[in-house]
Amino acid sequence: MNQLIVHTKNLNFSHNKTKQDIENLELKIPKGSIYGFLGPNGSGKSTTIRLMLGLLKKNSGTVALFGETFSSKTRLQILNRVGALIENPSLYDHLDAVDNLRIAANYRQIKSFDSINEVLAMVKLTQAKNKKIKEYSLGMKQRLGLAISLLSQPELIILDEPTNGLDPKGIIEMRTLIKDLNKKYGTTIFISSHLLSEIERTCTHVGIIREGKMVYQDTVASLKEATGTNLKIAIEVDKPTEALSVLKNLKIENCSLQDDFLQIEVKNKEEITEMVDILRSEKITIYQVFLKNNLEELFLSLTEN
Amino acid sequence: MTALSFYISSIKNELIKLKRTFALWLTVISAMIFPILFFIAFFMKHKTNTPKIGVNPWDYFMTVQIENSTPFFIPMFIVLITGLIMQIEHRSLGMKYLFALPIPKWSIYFGKLTIVIFAILSTYAYYYLAILVSGLLLGLLHPDLAFLNFQPEHLNYLRMLSISFVASLGIIGIQFWLSFRYKNFVVPLGFGMFLAIIGIIVSQAPQSIYFPYSFSVLSVSLGDKMPLIFGVSSVAVFSIGCFLTTSILGYLHIRKLNIK
Repeated sequence: MNQLIVHTKNLNFSHNKTKQDIENLELKIPKGSIYGFLGPNGSGKSTTIRLMLGLLKKNSGTVALFGETFSSKTRLQILNRVGALIENPSLYDHLDAVDNLRIAANYRQIKSFDSINEVLAMVKLTQAKNKKIKEYSLGMKQRLGLAISLLSQPELIILDEPTNGLDPKGIIEMRTLIKDLNKKYGTTIFISSHLLSEIERTCTHVGIIREGKMVYQDTVASLKEATGTNLKIAIEVDKPTEALSVLKNLKIENCSLQDDFLQIEVKNKEEITEMVDILRSEKITIYQVFLKNNLEELFLSLTEN
Repeated sequence: MTALSFYISSIKNELIKLKRTFALWLTVISAMIFPILFFIAFFMKHKTNTPKIGVNPWDYFMTVQIENSTPFFIPMFIVLITGLIMQIEHRSLGMKYLFALPIPKWSIYFGKLTIVIFAILSTYAYYYLAILVSGLLLGLLHPDLAFLNFQPEHLNYLRMLSISFVASLGIIGIQFWLSFRYKNFVVPLGFGMFLAIIGIIVSQAPQSIYFPYSFSVLSVSLGDKMPLIFGVSSVAVFSIGCFLTTSILGYLHIRKLNIK
C-alpha cells in the first residue's frame, strides 16, 4: 500500500452546536499523488483544509501528516514540509511580488534570493515582479500565491480552489504547472475544487465530500470504472415521441425521453451510428447527437440529495 | 531555529509590511500636529511669550506643550496606530497564512506588538525633534523669544516623555489584543476612542487610578500628588501591570483561536 502523506481518522468539527460541519472524515492522501478534493460549495472542503493545517481546533479524531500526528509539539516540524494556498491568497497589496516573497522567505528562514527568482519564473511572473499587487489581476495573484507556497520546496502542497476566478488560459496554465510539479519533483498535491472537470483532468486520486462526510474516495480511474462501461448518448430530433416509439418497437432497451431529448445507453461507439441509421430510415430529422459525461452524473448523484 | 531567530524574522517582516502604508506616515504626521500649532501660537503672540531676562524659554515651551498635548493625544494615537498596523494583516487575509506557517504563534503576536511599540516610540522621537526644531525656528524668526540663547534641558523633558510612554503601556496592551482579535477596524477603534474620552472625563475621580485609559492624563495631572507603590508612581506600576497581563492573556487567547 502507498505511504499516506495525510491521514485523518474520525475527524469531527462543528463551528456551532446546531450543525456538524465535518463528520467522521477519513481522508487518505497517498504520497506522490495529485489528490482532488471534490464537493459542492459549503460541503466542508475549506474547513477540512483548515483542520489539516491546525487553523481550526478539531472536536475529535486525529490528523496525521507525514506519518506524524498533528499536535502543538509536531506543528512546526510538519508545517515546514507543507506549502498552502488557502482560498484567496494572502498578499500584501501595497507591496510588490518580490517583497511578498521576501516576507515568506524570511518567515521560512530562506536566505537565498535565487529561490525567489526561481519561483517567480516558475509561475511566469518575472516580468511583473516589481509591480504592486494591487495592480495584479486575480489570476496573477493566484499564481503569486502558488509561488509563495512553492518557495520552501514543500513535499505537500495544499491548494484550495486554485483555479477560482481564473480565465480559461489561466486554468490551463495552473493545471500544467500542478502536473509538472508532481512529475518533476514528486510533490504530493492536494487540490480542493467544486469543479469535477478540473479534478478529472488533473488528479490521480479523488475524494468526494458532501455535508462534511466523505462519500467516495479512490483513484480517478476507479471512479471512471464505477460509472459502468456503457456509453450514454442524447439525441435531439424533430419528433421525439415518435422516435422513442420507433426504438421501443425495435425492442431497444435503455432508452427514454428527457427534456425532449432521446436518452440511449449503448455498448460501444458503433452502436451510435446504428441508432442514427434507424431514426433516419424512419424520416426522423436529427439535430444533434452527443455523449453524456457519466462521471458528472455520478458526481451529482453522490453530492445531491 | 532558535526563539531569537523566529522573533527577529517576525520583526524584519513587520518592517517590510509597514513600507508605503498610511500607518507609517501617521507616526510622522501625528508627531507634527501639536508642535506646528504651538509654533503658530508662539509666532503670533511672541511678545506675550517673551521670557524675562535670564529665564530659559525652553522650560515653558517644552513643559506647556508636553503637559497639554500628550495626555489627550497619546491615547487617541495609540488606538489609531494599533488598529492601522493590524489592518495591514487583516486586509491582506494574512492571519490564515501566518498561522499555517512553520513559525511559533508567539513570534507572530509579540513581533507585531514590538512593531506597534516601536511605531509609538518613534512618534515620541519625531514629536520631541519637532518641538526642538520649532523652538529653533522661533528663535531665528523672533530673536526676542531667546530660544537661541539657551540650551534645552533634554534630560528633564525626556523624563516627562518617558513617564507619558510608561503610562500609555496599559492601553497599548488592551488595544493591541483587540486589534489582533477583530478583523473589523470599527471594533477596536470605537471601543478605544470611547474609553479614551471616558478616561479624560473620569480622570478627576480618585478611582481613575485603576482605569488604564485615564493613566495618560493622571501621569501629568497628579504631579507630586501621585500615590507611590514601593517608591514608584502607582500609575506606572498599574500601567506596566496592565500591559503585561493583557499581552500574556492576549497571546494565550489568540493561540487557541480558530482561524476562519
